[in-house]
Amino acid sequence: MDLKLFKSMTGVGVLLFAFLVPQVSPAQSSPSNSPTSSSQAPQSSPTAPSKQKPSASSPSLPSAPSPAQSQQEPSLQDLGFGQSQLQANPALQARLNKRTEMLKIHQRLGIITLAPMVAALITGPTAKVKGKDGQILKVPSSTNLDFHAALGSATAALYFTSAYYAEFAPRIAGEQKRGAIRTHVALAFIHGPGMILTPILGAIAFNQEQKGEKVHGIASAHGAVATVTALAYGASIVAVAWPIRLKFWEKQ
Amino acid sequence: MNFKIHALAAIWLAALPALGQKASQWMLVQSSLTYHVSSPVHQVNGTSHEAKGKGVCQDGHCNFLVAAPVKSFDSGDSNRDLHMLEATRGAQNPMVVVRAQFSETDLQQSTIYADLDVQFAGQTRHYSHVPFQRQSQGNEIHITGTVPSTCSDFKFERPSFLGLLISNDIPVRVDAAWKQM
Repeated sequence: MDLKLFKSMTGVGVLLFAFLVPQVSPAQSSPSNSPTSSSQAPQSSPTAPSKQKPSASSPSLPSAPSPAQSQQEPSLQDLGFGQSQLQANPALQARLNKRTEMLKIHQRLGIITLAPMVAALITGPTAKVKGKDGQILKVPSSTNLDFHAALGSATAALYFTSAYYAEFAPRIAGEQKRGAIRTHVALAFIHGPGMILTPILGAIAFNQEQKGEKVHGIASAHGAVATVTALAYGASIVAVAWPIRLKFWEKQ
Repeated sequence: MNFKIHALAAIWLAALPALGQKASQWMLVQSSLTYHVSSPVHQVNGTSHEAKGKGVCQDGHCNFLVAAPVKSFDSGDSNRDLHMLEATRGAQNPMVVVRAQFSETDLQQSTIYADLDVQFAGQTRHYSHVPFQRQSQGNEIHITGTVPSTCSDFKFERPSFLGLLISNDIPVRVDAAWKQM
């Protein structure tokens, strides 16, 4: 009888142990809530939230959980992200900051460039103004031509400065262009050569007119090339902003 | 014989509290996190499907953790995504981490009200009582809801386009399927 009692008590002990132990082990097996492992994380600490005041923000993560909390709260390390994904990359952040800074200048100069470009397009045809007697002057006045040339020069100067900031903005490793930016870049292959060709053709046309000749040959394409360039340039600005969904009426 | 019955009853009585404390664990099996950005000329959504998550319910409380790499959000335009990464300091703070706490009984309700701690852009922000809709599908639950986050919550400068600032509100739509392990 004593032996049976002993066996029964042993069985009770084993079963109680079997029931109680699994309750503890899964949560305890997580090493992540320890201060040391959390300090390796890139962000301040992936530990559990403290009892923070509602809607209060703080620059760092909440304090470490109590032992009772830490047993049941999952941690960032439990999720299976690679260390490289969790690691902060200050060099990349600096590169991104530099990139954004340069592209913002590119954007501002690009929009400013529109003004002299449109003005040059308007003054181009009107360079051939009517004379006092109402007849079209075969040779435009030097004032009109100079004004048109000055606008063209300003356009080119702003354009190439803007292009410099886009071209020399830091590249980000692994970046594959997707979306509207591809159209924006593709259109540069039209307005880029156009911006080189337009002033050259303009200079040839100017020389021909200065000699009293009618504009002829390749120089006669000056206006057409300028128009295509301006259209491609405008489309490039629209493309990078696409899709445009006007919501001015909504309260910001 | 009588003794054996008493012994077995004792075992079960002793084991009951332990059974009551048993933690249920949940794993995120599928998700999409979508931020929405609006400006006077733009409406942009950026979605990540790379979130991972785990939840533990014990003693009547549930703690869920969801995290996603900031760079995994795709708005359909690589230039904009890189700018988002820069503006939100995503290289310095590469993960967006959301901790949700709610009552275990909420898991049986159609609406779960969760207290959230969102860690993003080097800041942590607490959102109280955020409603999420719950739908059961077998041993999975499908949770949808919106985190009412703003740029100022995380102290980053609002980006602008063509000189027009984006709206301060950047609500994040959560759509997640959880499986009980």
